[in-house]
Amino acid sequence: MTGPTVAIAGIGSTEFSKDSGRSELRLAVEACRAALDDAGLAPADVDGLVTFSMDSNAEIAVARELGAGELTFFGLVGYGGGAACGTVQHAAMAVATGAASTVLCYRALNERSGRRFGQVAAGILTGATSSAIDSGWHYPMGLATPAATVAMAARRYMHAYGATSADFGAVAVADRRHAATNPAAWFYRRPITLAEHQESRWICEPLRLLDCCQETDGAVAVLVTSLERARSAPNPPVVIRAAAQGSGVNQYTMTSYYRDDMTGLPEMGVVGRQLWAQAGLRPGDVRTAVLYDHFTPYVLMQLEELGFCGRGEARHFIADGAIELGGALPLNPHGGQLGEGYLHGMNGIAEAVRQVRGTAVNQVPGDGPVLVTAGTGVPTSGLILGPG
Amino acid sequence: MIAASIQAAAERARAVGLSAPRLATDPVNLPTIRAWTDAIGDANPVYTDPDAAARSVHGGLVAPPAMVQVWTMPGLRGAAGGRADDPLGVMTATLDEAGFTSVVATNCDQAYTRYLRPGEQLAVRAELLDVTGPKRTALGEGFFVTTRSTWFSGAEPVATMDFRVLKFRPGPRPAGSAVEPAGSVAPIMRPPVSPDTEFFWAGTQAGELRIQRCGGCGGLRHPPGPACLSCGSIDKPDYQVAAGTGTVYSYVVHHHPPVPGKQLPMVIALVELTEGVRMLGELTGVDPADVAIGLPVRVRFRRVDDDLVLPDWRLDRPGALPELTISVTPTVVVATALATRDFYPVHHDRDFAERGGAKDIFLNILTTTGLVQRYVTDWAGSEAIVRAISIRLGVPCYAGDTLTLAGTATATAGGERLVTVTGACSLGDHVTGTVRLAPEGTRP
Repeated sequence: MTGPTVAIAGIGSTEFSKDSGRSELRLAVEACRAALDDAGLAPADVDGLVTFSMDSNAEIAVARELGAGELTFFGLVGYGGGAACGTVQHAAMAVATGAASTVLCYRALNERSGRRFGQVAAGILTGATSSAIDSGWHYPMGLATPAATVAMAARRYMHAYGATSADFGAVAVADRRHAATNPAAWFYRRPITLAEHQESRWICEPLRLLDCCQETDGAVAVLVTSLERARSAPNPPVVIRAAAQGSGVNQYTMTSYYRDDMTGLPEMGVVGRQLWAQAGLRPGDVRTAVLYDHFTPYVLMQLEELGFCGRGEARHFIADGAIELGGALPLNPHGGQLGEGYLHGMNGIAEAVRQVRGTAVNQVPGDGPVLVTAGTGVPTSGLILGPG
Repeated sequence: MIAASIQAAAERARAVGLSAPRLATDPVNLPTIRAWTDAIGDANPVYTDPDAAARSVHGGLVAPPAMVQVWTMPGLRGAAGGRADDPLGVMTATLDEAGFTSVVATNCDQAYTRYLRPGEQLAVRAELLDVTGPKRTALGEGFFVTTRSTWFSGAEPVATMDFRVLKFRPGPRPAGSAVEPAGSVAPIMRPPVSPDTEFFWAGTQAGELRIQRCGGCGGLRHPPGPACLSCGSIDKPDYQVAAGTGTVYSYVVHHHPPVPGKQLPMVIALVELTEGVRMLGELTGVDPADVAIGLPVRVRFRRVDDDLVLPDWRLDRPGALPELTISVTPTVVVATALATRDFYPVHHDRDFAERGGAKDIFLNILTTTGLVQRYVTDWAGSEAIVRAISIRLGVPCYAGDTLTLAGTATATAGGERLVTVTGACSLGDHVTGTVRLAPEGTRP
């Protein structure tokens, strides 16, 4: 997409909590300042900002509070958590084209103490938007939470391939095991067993409580700039080797139930094919993967869609221990959104950066590339990062 | 402490045993039967047409079995609760004193030894079966009180009824629970409608499930939109009426969090229609454990209010009865309450009902029992012999709502027919139950 000319020079975050006690705007500013500090840059260096269309903090508000100067690039990326890696892709394209030189990507949310995504948000049905019309085929019928939308696809996947709730649980157990040794994780020192997963209550069958990610207050920011500028930052540059967005045929937001097949994530396939082509890599080359994990079943489907295993084979891939630290594809070494915190995928990008730098708390050895993906079930995005 | 004293009172009431017989104010009589069949909408001639009844298996007029409780209702001024040996009255007073002041009927299981005829003088005797609690319920903490009434014609027992009420202390109520508290349910979420989709919602209003069909290439699509997904045409949007049948392609059982206007747990199914497109809807009237991918389903139109009819789904079982939809107007609620001689004000006085937290007056349990009986005998025929009706109440059916009865018949080893009945209104299932019929051709 950009060639190896754009890099991530800084990452920053707040603490991950259940009640930040601060405004989302302040959280955004704190994370952005931390990313600037990490990159050894000043607010005046920033000339671009990108966030999620779901973020409540306008780019200009964050710029103002940061004390940034004039902006030459700003933008929003849509589709919930599918935006995460897309913000970095947009920033990278801006840097590569010269539209901006230094772009902050951020996401700030009081998702536990404020608006909880796990609850029903009937407001989505108001307004004459295509999204409202789309939701009108699901919300009034009672399918009105993210967990429920995923459960519908998960049930069909189980039917097609023989996957079980315990197979989904294996993802949660791995994430929580990794989070247990990550002091920044909400579930630090709190691993779970598969039995605990199986005993956790139903949220929306076939999903249990422990198949569902956390609700978190916090913010994460990522600073994108030229590789040249990143080389003079305090930390080793992290090159964006590939960046892509993807949407499938007959795509909906969380309810793509009207395609011939419902057991995959074609939009992630679109992302994956671009990533491998751009970077000239294959799945086997990846050192560790940070896969979006708001709900466990979509982790299995991502493994298949991205080519780490065949269709329907993710449960065997996982059962063989591949996703554990020390396995063939250590998954979410920070604990993911099930273990560390739910920052709409942005904390996963920060973890991928740390893995490339060699500074992660659960560092996966080697210098191979790191894959990170964004929201599943929605139009989405992904990155491959590597050392400069 | 409270529980112990209530159980002690229950023990004393149980020790009393059968209450003394309480006589019906009038013998079984045709005017009261006619008022009841008129209000319930039951046109079975064996109840009211002497000639037809004479030609029937009964050989003459009989009373609807589900009326049995009506004969001994105390009337507006004749409270039964004052009697020291009336177990429900005694337990009601005890629980009122302990603060469990509200009441809701939850179960009614009636069994009939034979049909009654005009002129028979009934008496009823009651006993306490059990008191359980305190239990946390959706309505608040409370005790379930179960009594058994036995009706006698002379010395002959002719019918029994196990009746369970929940006496509860009104408390904060979680939404979406099994027994839905009056007025606590947020309004159902409404679909926005655009010029591209209005044909679909006009269809549900008309009792049609409409699929977008391209006037050019004939391609079908759902959900609808401005273009044909097969040929790309935006010039000739049209639709076809679906057969209303399909199979479960996938489904979920939603437990948490609460969903406005829905009872939990609920089954939501993605249905693959016979025509090939998929459509999502609530699958009602089914135990979630009985749902599986591939099961045949049939659409059912559920009227939410004047402006919205949602397509629901039901398992398309062999033995399914045709559905019966009843418009529960305020007149129906009041007329049936009076025809069942139930003068409790929640069934005729909206101000009173609202003060108690209900959103309007609502159907009483005697009427629900009668409607279930009517539904089954409408299908089984005027000479079907009803042996028992067993119902459990769910959400209240308020004035202004629509009650849709659906059922499935199965034969038992002994030749009896069991009909499982569900009555759904806009809040969810108002009643679930079974009706037991004598083998076909049985003479009373």
